[in-house]
Formats: sequence, C-alpha cells, structure tokens
Amino acid sequence: MGAIFSRLFSRLWGSKEVRILILGLDGAGKTTILYRFQIGEVVTTIPTVGFNVETVTYKNIKFQVWDLGGQTSIRPYWRCYYANTDAIIYVVDSQDRDRVGTSKEELVAMLEEEELRDAALLVLANKQDMEGAMSHTEVSDALGLTSLRNRTWTIYKCSAKTGEGLTEALDWLVNVVSGGKK
Amino acid sequence: MYTLITGLYKQWTQKEEFYVIILGLDNAGKTTLLERIKSIYLGVAGLPPEKIAPTVGLNIGKVEINNTRLNFWDLGGQRELHSIWEKYYSECHAIVFVVDATDKERIEEVKETFETVITNDTVEGVPVLMLANKQDVPSALKVHEIKEIFNPIALRLGARDSKVLPVSALKGDGVQEAVDWLFVRLQRNRTNRPPIFRN
Repeated sequence: MGAIFSRLFSRLWGSKEVRILILGLDGAGKTTILYRFQIGEVVTTIPTVGFNVETVTYKNIKFQVWDLGGQTSIRPYWRCYYANTDAIIYVVDSQDRDRVGTSKEELVAMLEEEELRDAALLVLANKQDMEGAMSHTEVSDALGLTSLRNRTWTIYKCSAKTGEGLTEALDWLVNVVSGGKK
Repeated sequence: MYTLITGLYKQWTQKEEFYVIILGLDNAGKTTLLERIKSIYLGVAGLPPEKIAPTVGLNIGKVEINNTRLNFWDLGGQRELHSIWEKYYSECHAIVFVVDATDKERIEEVKETFETVITNDTVEGVPVLMLANKQDVPSALKVHEIKEIFNPIALRLGARDSKVLPVSALKGDGVQEAVDWLFVRLQRNRTNRPPIFRN
C-alpha cells in the first residue's frame, strides 16, 4: 500500500531526472549558458578544463547538466561522458565564422557515436547580441544540420549574455524528454 | 551452407523501411499530426497540443505496421525553412501535405507552396496525400471545397497517386485512414521508390 502511494506521489510531484551534455568549441559560451540556466545570471568564467556539472530543475524536470571543456586538447575526453545521455546542447559562437567548419567536424564526429544514437540535439547559435553574428539559418547550413536523418534536432538563436532564446530552448528540451519525441 | 543459412536468416529478419515527409505552412498542424500518429501506433501519450512550439529543425516518428517501418519526418513550416524541405526529397517515399482548413486567408499561399513542392523533379511520381486539417472546427473548409480550390493545379500532379482526406490531428479523427492510405500507396510505388532494407 505504502509503495503504491509513494509511486503515485512521485508520479504526481516527483521530478524525472534527465542527463544533458553541453558541448561545443572553446569560447562558445557553454559555461555561461550553464550558469544562466542554473542561477539565471551571467557569471565571469575562465576556460573550463575538465567539467562543470549542475542540476537545473525546470518545469518539474531535473536536468543534470554537464558542461565539458571545449579546448582542442580536451575534446577527445567528451566521449567518456556520452553514455545515457538524453540530449545534447551544442553551442556555437555565431560570430566565429572562421571556426564554424571545425565546429561542424566535431559535431559530425560526435553524432556518429553509437552511445549518442538516441540523443536529441539542440543547437544554440550563441552570441546573437554581437554585431555580425550569423543567423540561425546560416549556422544550421554551416553545421550541415539538414543532412541529419534519424535524429530529432532544433536550433535556437540565443545570447547567454542577455538571456535571449534560452527559455525557448529549455522548453524544447522539456518537450523532447517528456513527450518521448526522440 | 553457413552462407545459405545466414542469408536466409537475414532475408527473414530484415525489415522494410519507408520515409514520409510531412510538409505544409506554419501552424498547419504538422507536429500535432505527428504526435497523434505516434500516440495511435505506439500507444505512448503524445505531446499535448498546447505545448507544441513552432518546429525549426526536425521531429521524427517511427511507426511499425505489418512488420514494415514508416519513418515520419516533420519539418518546420515557416517560410525561411522551406529551402530545407528539398534536402529530404530524394530520400522520401511519400509526401504528406497538411493544410490548415480554417485559414482561408492564406489558402493562396498554400496553393503556391503546394505547387512548388509537387513540381519539383526530385519527387516526381512520389505519392502525395493532402490533409485538410482542423476538421473539428465547424467553419473549416470541407474536402470538396479544398478540392475545388486545388483543382486548377491538380493536372501538375502527373501520374502519381494522390488524395485529399479530412483529418483532425487534435481529436485524432481520420488520422488512421490517412496512414492506411499511405501504407497502400508506399507498397504500390515500390518499383519507383524501393524501400530501404535494414536488419
């Protein structure tokens, strides 16, 4: 009886835990986005070596968000974190036209991993507050997102600095992980 | 002998897969339709319609009917996203075109968009199913009215299989009939667009 009650209780009020990875090249704004999600403020960050992990509760869902360092030398370690991932947030510096090609290569290599086969993909075209930033269609073309066939994906333009676009992005994540859309 | 047996085993267990793209203007109800299809065929509760936001990327749905898998690709309907549609044309086996039957003001825009889709060479001969959605609203255009509007461009459909069906993605009416129609046409068009085999 107690078990039934507690199960019912957790279904009504308990929150589901979801594992999210934030990836992208160095300087894309991953850590700033993570803390925007968590405390709603812009924090001063230093390049991440290793990872930051925080729990973000939003709309009754507990997101365990892993922000992994994006520098070339530590990208090979991303794969150690792939298992059981529900969704990937891939952050792109929309102003950095020179390195968007590298960003694409990393993304393509990552999506080929078997462990991420069922993970949904949320691309954030960050730094939209900056002048000369690529639009989200430009970023999606540059990353070759339209050649994805078996993965639920979306792209949002955002600015971690002003907070623009981040709520919409989180709402999309909620839908994907709760509606079984992937 | 081993090769024969593994060959037979593969033949026996392989599955046919078809890909269907769901197109239409923004707010036509494409994602709602996809969620409805998923809830009917997979038995999982789809996303509640009021929570669905405009699609920008791609939503996918995988449904199994008679040991055949139908993969649905639901693409964004906003104008600047129409250029993405073409990238899926060469690999699709059928097109579902969703029309908001309550939005009479944009019906000309729907017509132009539909014409651009069906006259694309890459999708020549591919079955097209037009769905007059939102039939739960009493003022919605009925199938015969939709047909009248689209008759002038019906000629451009060519020799392919095509049909207009009424649905309400919101309530689920007509959705199963639509998928049934698709299933038959996909099979019929298999010499033109053969299925993909997957083990």
